[in-house]
Amino acid sequence: MTWIIHTLNGIAFGMLLFLLAAGLSLIYGLMRILNLTHGSFYLVGGYIGVTVMQLTGSFVLALVAAVGVIALVGAAIERFCLRRFYLDELPQTLLTFGFLFIFADLSLWIWGGNPLMLNMPAVFQHSVPMGYYSYPVYRLFLIAVGIVIAVALWWFQERTRLGTMLRAGVDDAEIARALGINVSLLFTLIFSVGAALAALAGVLAGPVLSLYPGADFEVLIFAFVVVVVGGLGSLRGALAGALLVGILDDFGKAFFPEFALFTVFVPMAVILVVRPTGLFGRQ
Amino acid sequence: MATTDRTPLNATIARAREGSACRHVLSAIAMVGMATLMVAAPALPSGASDPIKIGVLLPLSGNFAENGQQTLTGLKMYFDEVGNKADGHAITLIVEDTQGKPDTAVTKARKLVQGDGVAVLTGVVTSGEAIAVNAFSRDNKVPLVLSGDAGADELTMPGPLANPYLVRTSQNGRSVASAAADWAYKKGWRKVATIGSDYAGGVDVNFAFAQAFCSLGGKVIQAEWPPIGTADFGPYLTNLVRTADAVVTFEPGADGLRLAQQYSQFGLKDKLPIMDIYGGLVFESNLPQLGDATLGIYSSLFYTPMLKTPENERFVAEFQKRMHSLPANEGPNGYVGAHAIVDAIKAVNGDPSDTMKFIAALKAIKFDSPKGEISLDKYGQVIQTMYIREVQKVNGQTANVPIASYKNVDQFWPYTEAEFDSFKYSYKDSKNSLTDCTRLLAKK
Repeated sequence: MTWIIHTLNGIAFGMLLFLLAAGLSLIYGLMRILNLTHGSFYLVGGYIGVTVMQLTGSFVLALVAAVGVIALVGAAIERFCLRRFYLDELPQTLLTFGFLFIFADLSLWIWGGNPLMLNMPAVFQHSVPMGYYSYPVYRLFLIAVGIVIAVALWWFQERTRLGTMLRAGVDDAEIARALGINVSLLFTLIFSVGAALAALAGVLAGPVLSLYPGADFEVLIFAFVVVVVGGLGSLRGALAGALLVGILDDFGKAFFPEFALFTVFVPMAVILVVRPTGLFGRQ
Repeated sequence: MATTDRTPLNATIARAREGSACRHVLSAIAMVGMATLMVAAPALPSGASDPIKIGVLLPLSGNFAENGQQTLTGLKMYFDEVGNKADGHAITLIVEDTQGKPDTAVTKARKLVQGDGVAVLTGVVTSGEAIAVNAFSRDNKVPLVLSGDAGADELTMPGPLANPYLVRTSQNGRSVASAAADWAYKKGWRKVATIGSDYAGGVDVNFAFAQAFCSLGGKVIQAEWPPIGTADFGPYLTNLVRTADAVVTFEPGADGLRLAQQYSQFGLKDKLPIMDIYGGLVFESNLPQLGDATLGIYSSLFYTPMLKTPENERFVAEFQKRMHSLPANEGPNGYVGAHAIVDAIKAVNGDPSDTMKFIAALKAIKFDSPKGEISLDKYGQVIQTMYIREVQKVNGQTANVPIASYKNVDQFWPYTEAEFDSFKYSYKDSKNSLTDCTRLLAKK
């Protein structure tokens, strides 16, 4: 029974990682920007969720507000700041690094330094009995959301016109532009979607992981590990990497507690040695 | 936003007062000078009217900003209460932001001492900063009153860190853990599992608990060490041995908030009672966020805002006015530190320039505070009351209600200094042997 709980735990944590890494991976795949502001989108999104939840008591509204605001913020950052350094990856990455600090200080100013827990809706405040233990319903909900988002993203990328344009842009932005695809608009859109996914992860993680200054850096590192394992720019890779890292982390901590600090990093190091481009990354 | 150079309001006021007084004196001199045209300007009286400068080192930005801000509020509350005066001498606070970093803390300490000429340093939240500033204080012979949280035991014990210019009015890790052990044994627990934050401070605290618990006849039967920043305690909770009577934890910061939530979610709260050393799970800022998930959690600390003493009720009311929240541990620590400094300045008649005399005066302080009765031992470490608290509903809100107390706990308690010195192993070589009572109690 404990094995089942460990596996469920790993998958639930992996799904959170997937939401985080998917945005990072999408943005890198299309724009070749390593978006260091990604963790801030997660944290600020989560904080917005906490505030909306406190004011209205509605989890759905908290999700919508956080995702909406951060999507707009992401679009604005791409349109007005990153655009100025088109195809110049180093200044763009440095710019996102700057935004990381700005958001960190802003959120410390607005939400203070105490860790905040997002109250989960009453529906999820139950546990399912599993032998000696109980398993929190909210984590099962996380797994479900992860699956829905993964399917939605796959459908978007493979089955929609926009997704086709996205794939064309990923393969060769210049040719896509020559074919009449508005790549600039696509950039803004994808950056915005990536940011929104991070905000979604922030709100969903709020009731389990809590939000606090420094969480932005921590989740950024997790997201990096996942995309390195899965392969930068690949959604499939992000999903596989996230599940792998989530499950290995859980079992690692349970059965090899002496190595708890780097259970997440061991798979990354091994993958880097065996497959430097990640599980699904292209050469 | 936390800025790097924050001039406290009362310091500004003090400076403005000083400025206007100065202007009066000068205009008086000018008038006298003009009237007589020949009289030389009289020398301004020096020494007695100079304000006594106190340097405050606290993290006001970065991850420890909240802890810094709370400590600062406590410090200012006491100085304001005495009108920013001690023995008739004005007191000026000069506050510097350390960002929670040891190197920045030392840079700011140097600026305060060599640039501003402060008589005493106080504050300091993290043990890393404390160890760095402690060395600066020793090398430069500057009194350091640790009024922040920094709880590394060795700072105030004979050994490589010992510093004759240091006193600590806040706390240390061992005492809180020892009180938890004593109470746990009296509660009837004999076999406990520990979940301890895996860093020097966490090992120190869990070791102190295990040692005191073994001395009484109890035993730690499982020791889990989640690293700092553990996001998911699921694996640790699922691994807990079910034969334990209770779980004992030390998990500060966001880790504590998460553990409290997850412990309840995994349905363990009704099966395994939990004793939280230091109250990281049930910090006052956590309680309203966690709802009923914390009900029944036991914790040990040197304070709870629920203490029904006149000193504390007055303190809590004023603190709430300033911060719009209940004080946890930092506010009272800042307040007590300021009280100690003011009392010591009074004892040396307003002249702290004789450092050793000032330190001796600090070590001799004794007063009632929001935390309870405060005095210091010969090493400058605070002797104070430890409280066992239980989360109960008070007027519909969860609160840390005191259910037992240990008065006059010194840093070696429950041992004497000689007994404490006779143990063969310290926490540094015992992280992996917390379950081995024979080893923990081995004598040199």
